Amino acid sequence: MSGTYLQSKGFFRNRTPGDVVFMLALGAICVAVLFAVIYPVYFVVIASVSNPSLISTGEVWLWPKGISFFGYEQIFNDDRIWTGYRNTLLYSVVGTALNLVVTIPAAYALSRPEFRPRRILMLFFVFTLFFNGGLIPTYLLYRDLGLLDNWLVFVLPSAVNVYNLIIARAFFEHSLPKELFEAALLDGVSYLQYFAKVALPLSKAIISVIGLYYLVQHWNDFFTGLVFVRDNSLQPLQIVLRDILLSNQAFAGGAGTGGGSGVGYDQQYADQIKYGVIVVSSLPVLVLYPFLQRYFEKGVLIGSVKG
Amino acid sequence: MTESLVAARKPVAGTRRRAGLGLGRHVSRYWQLWLMVLPAVGFIALFMYVPMYGIQLAFREFDFTAGLTGGKWAGLKYFQQFFDSPLFWPLLRNTFVISITTLVVGFFAPIALALMINQIAGGRRKKFMQTATYLPHFISIVVIVGMLQAFLNPSTGLLTQVFAFFGLDEVNLLGDTSAFVPVYVISDVWQHCGWNSIIYLAALSRVDPQLYEAAKVDGANRLQLIRHVDVPSIVPTMVILLILTMGGVLNTGFEKVWLMQNTLNLPVSEVIATYVYKIGIFSTQFSYATAIGLFNTVINFVFLIAANAIARRVSNWSLW
Amino acid sequence: MATSPFLSRRAFVVAAGAAGLTALAGCSGKSSNSDPNTLRIAVSKHPLTKPISTMEWPKQLEKIAGVKIQWQEISADWDQKKSTMLAAGDVPDLIVGTNAITNSDLGTYRTLFENLADDLDALPNVKALFAAKPQLKSMATLSTGEIYSVPGYKRFWPTTVTHQYINKQWLDRLGLKVPTTWDELFTVLVAFKEQDANGNGDKNDEIPMDWSPVGTGGFGYFQPSVLLGSVGLPIAGGGGQGYFLEDGKVGNFLVDERYKRVIQFIHRCYAAGLVSKNVMTQDYSAYQAVGRGSGKVAKVGFSWGWTASDRFGAELADQYVAMAPLLEKAGQTTPVAWSYDSNSENFPSNQIVMSAKTGNKQAALKIINAFYDKEMSLQVLWGDLGKYVKKVSDKEYEVLPPADPKTDPSTWKWTVTIADAGPTWIRDDIEVKLPTDLDEAVEQTKPLQAALENMDVKKDVYPFQFIQMTPDDTNQLALNNTTILNGTMTKFAEWITKGGIEDQWDKYVQQIQSSGLQKNIDVYQRYYDEYVKTH
Repeated sequence: MSGTYLQSKGFFRNRTPGDVVFMLALGAICVAVLFAVIYPVYFVVIASVSNPSLISTGEVWLWPKGISFFGYEQIFNDDRIWTGYRNTLLYSVVGTALNLVVTIPAAYALSRPEFRPRRILMLFFVFTLFFNGGLIPTYLLYRDLGLLDNWLVFVLPSAVNVYNLIIARAFFEHSLPKELFEAALLDGVSYLQYFAKVALPLSKAIISVIGLYYLVQHWNDFFTGLVFVRDNSLQPLQIVLRDILLSNQAFAGGAGTGGGSGVGYDQQYADQIKYGVIVVSSLPVLVLYPFLQRYFEKGVLIGSVKG
Repeated sequence: MTESLVAARKPVAGTRRRAGLGLGRHVSRYWQLWLMVLPAVGFIALFMYVPMYGIQLAFREFDFTAGLTGGKWAGLKYFQQFFDSPLFWPLLRNTFVISITTLVVGFFAPIALALMINQIAGGRRKKFMQTATYLPHFISIVVIVGMLQAFLNPSTGLLTQVFAFFGLDEVNLLGDTSAFVPVYVISDVWQHCGWNSIIYLAALSRVDPQLYEAAKVDGANRLQLIRHVDVPSIVPTMVILLILTMGGVLNTGFEKVWLMQNTLNLPVSEVIATYVYKIGIFSTQFSYATAIGLFNTVINFVFLIAANAIARRVSNWSLW
Repeated sequence: MATSPFLSRRAFVVAAGAAGLTALAGCSGKSSNSDPNTLRIAVSKHPLTKPISTMEWPKQLEKIAGVKIQWQEISADWDQKKSTMLAAGDVPDLIVGTNAITNSDLGTYRTLFENLADDLDALPNVKALFAAKPQLKSMATLSTGEIYSVPGYKRFWPTTVTHQYINKQWLDRLGLKVPTTWDELFTVLVAFKEQDANGNGDKNDEIPMDWSPVGTGGFGYFQPSVLLGSVGLPIAGGGGQGYFLEDGKVGNFLVDERYKRVIQFIHRCYAAGLVSKNVMTQDYSAYQAVGRGSGKVAKVGFSWGWTASDRFGAELADQYVAMAPLLEKAGQTTPVAWSYDSNSENFPSNQIVMSAKTGNKQAALKIINAFYDKEMSLQVLWGDLGKYVKKVSDKEYEVLPPADPKTDPSTWKWTVTIADAGPTWIRDDIEVKLPTDLDEAVEQTKPLQAALENMDVKKDVYPFQFIQMTPDDTNQLALNNTTILNGTMTKFAEWITKGGIEDQWDKYVQQIQSSGLQKNIDVYQRYYDEYVKTH
């Protein structure tokens, strides 16, 4: 690949007119992308404090109208939300720690070309991306393991995500300088030592990416609480928020399905709560991300110095 | 700990001559690697493989009183039932169209975005752009669909008004059968593009700056830098993700399709996942639902194996 | 490089910690079904409902049964949770919730539930309920004699849930009369559209006609399916999957010529721009919000709802009047009909079931019995006695208005108790001063009363509620209906918005017939015939 760019000679060294055009185009596209991304998010924020009728009739676009914090009041007056926050925090932190401890070493081991069982092991892992026994056998297994209505159900079964394992393995294969391994070889270093002292420090970028993936996975995990937990004191934030959300929507179908005739429910604040819920549930992860981002760059630095 | 990598190196050469080494020597050489991989193997074996006996439900009559595996053997009856259903071809077509479009667009968009963000000079601006673009990832699907409904509302929606401004009057993108796939895919890309670009940005961040310098000395312009330095550095990541996405060829986001369904777009929006849900949860047809699910899985798996085989030939990298 | 040992050591600590926790899981994770002093009751309650621990009546239940109750309150995705729970055979002692466990569940998972037929002596209230309302007994009893669930009786709900409204203020402003036929309605709606009916100076912000979102699974309340009444076709529960009973014969209106005429009329309205453009794609909250207009300005002219205040909001409710069913043509001889919903509202089915493996059967029976007590039923439906329901005398009760003046009575009820989800028997011999929403609904049913009386409840209303089918039949019906509705509901939407019913009708009918429609009709007919014989 190094040969290809050698052919393109004769360009100016610093700012060429082409560069300027490029910069302008880049800037324009960035602004467009930013607008496309930020406006809807901004809309969610203003909608969460606007009069819901005005939103549904399409009158709120630029500024919040008929400001009311009813949605947030509803959300934060609900005791369950604090339990939910605490639970989710616990599951995310412990879960992600376990994920990394299990995934990263395994990914490293599977990246060693001389480790011959790795092919069959990879197949063993990848197979489960596609085939699974379905919900009921899983439920029975969890029951036998005592995981139902137990907080560990949020942590243990999801200890390995095969996608993340594959990505981490690929990173170790492609991005660790081979010379380092050769050098370590001569020093008589063992695999574990090499992994701990050489591979890990060079892998902060991938660890933070994988960690972030896992963290968000735990944060948004909704299905586990839905199916395997009936004790409300263990429910994660997503379930609590969904309950709050549904307080406003259930009648939509409920009115038509017979049985519950709660057709008289006042729908007015449904949307406001809905938008408030998005803000409340996303905020912590959003705040966290820039901190993790710093790790990306550290990872880069170390990598480039050593590489 | 006594085994050093010097020892570990030998079998690499050795394997070329002979099929393998004895179990004892293998263990003594690689026990540390085994130690590293075993916890993951254990978790997967327990939580993924143990319940797999449930797959046989697809070949049995679900009979609760007889237990999960005690139902009468039904052979391929439920597969036959699915193939014979008048909904089979429409379901397959809809599923395929939605997922393939999402795969293709959803594959390239993050790459383009990552290459673009990587070009932005100035750490702050870059960071801002990155943080902004991944924001939508955290919005739940319920809300995304709610937002689509607000923006595309045929009488008050902002986008509808924008379209009307350009002369596209009286469009109802929420109900139009030809608009369903584009709306689904574009909103999907909108939501996940930034997030999915993270992995590429991580790869790009590891490009040796000396490469850029060298290329610049050779007179490469910005686009050429992207093409000849950036792109090659993310090719391995692209290959992996491409293989993995190929394995999802018949996967559609169930919840989103489900929520976007309405009586107008149903001819194009009924997919295997939503049909299985209706059959399995509402009609308690577990055997039928399992059979359809298994069919879906097998197709996906075949695609994955094919993609992996091609990748092994073309890029010399493969999943296993 | 310097940080690496630290990193790995920390990682190791975490790993060790996690391993320790795993070991702990083995001890702490056991959920005991065996403790006879605790009953586990799962309740499928509305998300709006406050935690059960905040209510008084559940404490009375504990006292009566002499046990501690561990409530499992499930308010989201009940179907998903339930199907897993049942298939895994993991049922709590009691399950509470109207149709939380359906007839189809009772068929498939029969062995999980306790047959209460031989325990009726321990359930005096239930026994008395069956004696007072024999149709409830037949509702609960299988053809083979077992009783796996107990239904309820709510007494006060109006015969129909769907009421028809038109904006009287708009009519007056434009000098028009309340329409009585389809053609008159059409004329009125055109006037709504073309003129400034709401008088806010904008001629284009009126939505002449709107209805609640029609799902892909069939018809429900507040939908134009009630126009089938104009052509004399009797429906129940808003239309459901199309099956109806007419003079003792089961049919499905989705392939009925009269349904075709209704669709043609609605398409005529739609094509003339008289129906909300968003009618097929809006969700329920958008539909509700639009109906409530903005401030004092109404947006919708003609629509359907539960009560005027619910549909259009307290501020606009006065502008609307409840209407009688429309005639298809002036002077038609066919008597009009309406949607008959009394069965599903007043006779809620499967309100409570008991696990066959309960650790304390006597206590569980006591609780079932206690639910059907006179005062307990009132409390479960409207809230604690003294706080939300006032006892005037032994025979007189008053449901108090919401303590929170911003809330309407239905919301209030769903907030303070499990309301319609709970097992209930409201006696016929007591007097209850009803909450205002129920009063209003009863009042606004009056214009529809004549049409409802045109329907012979025995011969024109399919007794869906009162029939127990075998699991095989239930499954066959469900499977065919999924296919049938997949075709019909899309055509419904297409024909209304784009037209074309005339050309496609014959082919459509043929296609629906080939999806197993006749087989389903035969099943429904068979059960109906059996039901008639015994009642």
